[in-house]
Amino acid sequence: MTKSPNRWCSPCARAKRCVEPMRPALRFAMFLCLLLALDGALLFDGLSRRMAEYATLARLEVVTRGLGLTDLAVATEARYTRHPAVSDPVVPFMDHPGAIEHFPTGAFWLPPSR
Amino acid sequence: MKSLSVLLVFAAVIFLLASFQMVTQALSDKAKQVLAHTPEITLQKMSAGRQESIPLAYGEQLAGIFGIRRVVPRIWGYYFDEVRLTNYTVMGLEVNEMPEGGRLGATLAKGVMPGPADEAQGRVVVGQSIKKTMDLAGRTTFSLFRPDLSLKPFEISGEFSPDTDILTNDLIVMNVADARDLFGIPAGLVTDLCVYVANPKEIETIAKKISEALPSVRVLTRSQIQKTYQVVFGWRSGFGSICLLAALAAFVILAWDKASGLSPEERREIAILKVLGWETSDILAVRSRESVIVSGLACIVGMTAAYIHVVYFDAALFRPVLMGWSVLRPDLHLLPRLAAGDILLILAFTVIPYLAATVIPAWRSATVPADSALGG
Amino acid sequence: MLIELSQVSKVYNQGRANEVRALSGIDLTVEQGSMVCLKGPSGSGKSTLLAIIGCIFPPTSGRAVIAERQLARLPDRFLTLHRRETIGFIFQRFNILPELTVLENIALPLLPLGVTPKERKLRAHELLERFGISHRAQFPAGQISGGELQRVAIARALINNQPIILADEPTAHLDTNLSREFMAIMQQLKAAGKTIVIASHDPLVFEHPAIDRTVTILDGRIHVP
Repeated sequence: MTKSPNRWCSPCARAKRCVEPMRPALRFAMFLCLLLALDGALLFDGLSRRMAEYATLARLEVVTRGLGLTDLAVATEARYTRHPAVSDPVVPFMDHPGAIEHFPTGAFWLPPSR
Repeated sequence: MKSLSVLLVFAAVIFLLASFQMVTQALSDKAKQVLAHTPEITLQKMSAGRQESIPLAYGEQLAGIFGIRRVVPRIWGYYFDEVRLTNYTVMGLEVNEMPEGGRLGATLAKGVMPGPADEAQGRVVVGQSIKKTMDLAGRTTFSLFRPDLSLKPFEISGEFSPDTDILTNDLIVMNVADARDLFGIPAGLVTDLCVYVANPKEIETIAKKISEALPSVRVLTRSQIQKTYQVVFGWRSGFGSICLLAALAAFVILAWDKASGLSPEERREIAILKVLGWETSDILAVRSRESVIVSGLACIVGMTAAYIHVVYFDAALFRPVLMGWSVLRPDLHLLPRLAAGDILLILAFTVIPYLAATVIPAWRSATVPADSALGG
Repeated sequence: MLIELSQVSKVYNQGRANEVRALSGIDLTVEQGSMVCLKGPSGSGKSTLLAIIGCIFPPTSGRAVIAERQLARLPDRFLTLHRRETIGFIFQRFNILPELTVLENIALPLLPLGVTPKERKLRAHELLERFGISHRAQFPAGQISGGELQRVAIARALINNQPIILADEPTAHLDTNLSREFMAIMQQLKAAGKTIVIASHDPLVFEHPAIDRTVTILDGRIHVP
C-alpha cells in the first residue's frame, strides 16, 4: 500500500492533495438534508393541492348526482372495463365469440362478485 | 460502490411498489368520495342473462312502493367511432329531472347543458377527451351514425370542465329523445331507471321490495356499486403488487447473495478488524447499521420519487395497467394520502426483508479467521 | 517476562488428511522493553508464531503466557479482549482501510471499546501530532504517501497504549529510506518502554542496532546455529 510521494506532479493534482476532500459522512448528511427539504416542499405543495381539491370534489359530486353516474371513466376500451360496477361476470363474453380479453385492464377493473 | 448500486436498485423497487400503492389508494379515495353520490338504486332488465332495455312502465309499477321519492329513466350506451377506434359513452337524460341537475351548469368549462327535446334538439355537452379526439378545430357540430347508418347531426352546447375528467372525459350528454333516436331504441323503453328514496337507511328494504315486485329486474344499490371499487382497489390491486412482489423477491435474493459472498477485499478487511480487537458481534453491528441506513435511505428516495411520479407525472408508468388500449385518456390528477399505515406497510414489505437478507448471511460470513490478515 | 512460550506447537486440521504442523517445540521468552526479530523464509512458521504471541489463537500444545495471561485457558471472547488491551499490530503492507480517513483508521481499535467519538478524535490527534501528520487527518487513507501510511499504521498500533507491538514483515514493500525511518520509530518506541517483536527477513531490520536478539525459525522450529 505504498505510494510514491511524487505521484501527483501537476499543480492541479498537487492542489488537490492539499485540499481536504469532503468526508463521505458529510456528503451523506448534505444529501439527506436536501432530500428532507424536498419532502418538506412536497408536503406543503400537497397540502395546498388538497385545499384546491375540495372545490374539484364539490364539482364531481354535482356531476355524479346530476348524471346518475356509477363508474369512473378511466378504461374506455370495453364496456366491462368502463362500467365495472354495473356489469356482471358474463359481460366480457357477450361482446363477440372471438373477442380478445382486454389486457391488462380486464384483469384490473373487475366486475363485482355477486 | 456496491452499497450505492444496491441502494439504487432497492430505491427503484420501493418506487414501483409505493407508486402502485399510491395510485390505487388515490383512485380508491376518489371513487369512494365521488360514488357516495351515485343513484341510490339502479334498475336494469335482464333477459337470458343479458341486460336489455327496460320498459318505462316498470317505473310506474314502482309507484306503489312506499319510500320511493323519484324514478328517473335514462338511455345510455356506447358509441364506437370506427374512424378513431374509440368508444364514447353516450348518456341521454332529462337534466332537470335529476337531483342536482339544475347545478350541472356549474360543472361546465363553458356553455350550457342540453335542455329537453322540444327546446334543444341535437344539443350535446361533451367531455374534454371527446373534444380533443374529434379535433373539431373551432367547429361545434359533428355527426354520429344511427344503427341504419343514417347520420344524426349534433351541436356542442357545452364542455365539461377538465376538473371532472375522471367522470366525464368520454361522455356525450344529450336529452333522452336524441339518445333514443341515435341508438334506435323504441318508444317506451329505456336503458335503466334511477330510483331515489326518501330515507337512505331504507335503501336495502326498498331494493328488496322492488326485486319482489319486478323479478326480471336487476336491482343495484349504491353500496353494491361502491363495493365494486373497494374490490378493484383492494386485493385486486395486488394484480400489480403480485408483479412487483416478484421484483422484490428477486431483489431480496440479490441482497442475500451479496451479503453471503465476501470478496477477498472484504475478507481481508474483516480479518484486519478482528486482529485489531473487533469481535464478530462488533462487525455485525456495523453491517446492520449499514443495512438500516441503506434501506432507510432507499425507502425515503423511493417513496419521494413515487410521490413525484404519481402527483406530478400522473402515474405515467401505470397508465397502461389502468387504461390499457383506451384511446381516450383522462388526466387523473391524483393526490395520494400518505397515512402512517401505508408507510409502515411499504417498510414492512421492503426494509424488513432486506435487513433479514443481509444480516443473517453477514453473521455467517463474519466468521473469517483473524490470522488470515497476517502473512500479507 | 512479558512473553513466555514453552514447548509451543501449532497443528492445523489436526487428525485430518490435510494436517499441517506449523510450529513444534518453540521455546521463546521476550523481556519487557526489548526488541526481538523473528527471521526465517516464507512458510517457516513466523506468521503462526506471531499469531500466537498476538493472542489471535492459542497453541495446540505447550504453554504461552502473554502479559501474565496463559492463552490456552482463555475462551475466544477473552482472547480478543486480551489482544485489544495488550497487542498493537503493524501488518505487512500496513493493511489500512483506504475508504476511511486517516483519523478513522487510527481510531479503529477504539470503536468496539465504546470510547466516545470526542475521546477517539482526541487520542488519534495526539498520535497524529506526535508523528507529524495531523494535516492529513481528514484525508482518505488511500490518497496519502507511503511514508505517511507507515506512520498511520504505527499510530494505529499505539492508540490503545498497548505494551506489546508486533510487526509482520513491515518493510517488505518499502524502499530503503522508509525502512530506515520505520526502524528509527521502533527504536524510539523501545526507548519509551514498549516490547517489540518484528517478523522480518530484511537485513535492514535484523541487523539494526536496536534489535536485542534475532531468532531464526526454520520449518516450524527455532534454529540454533
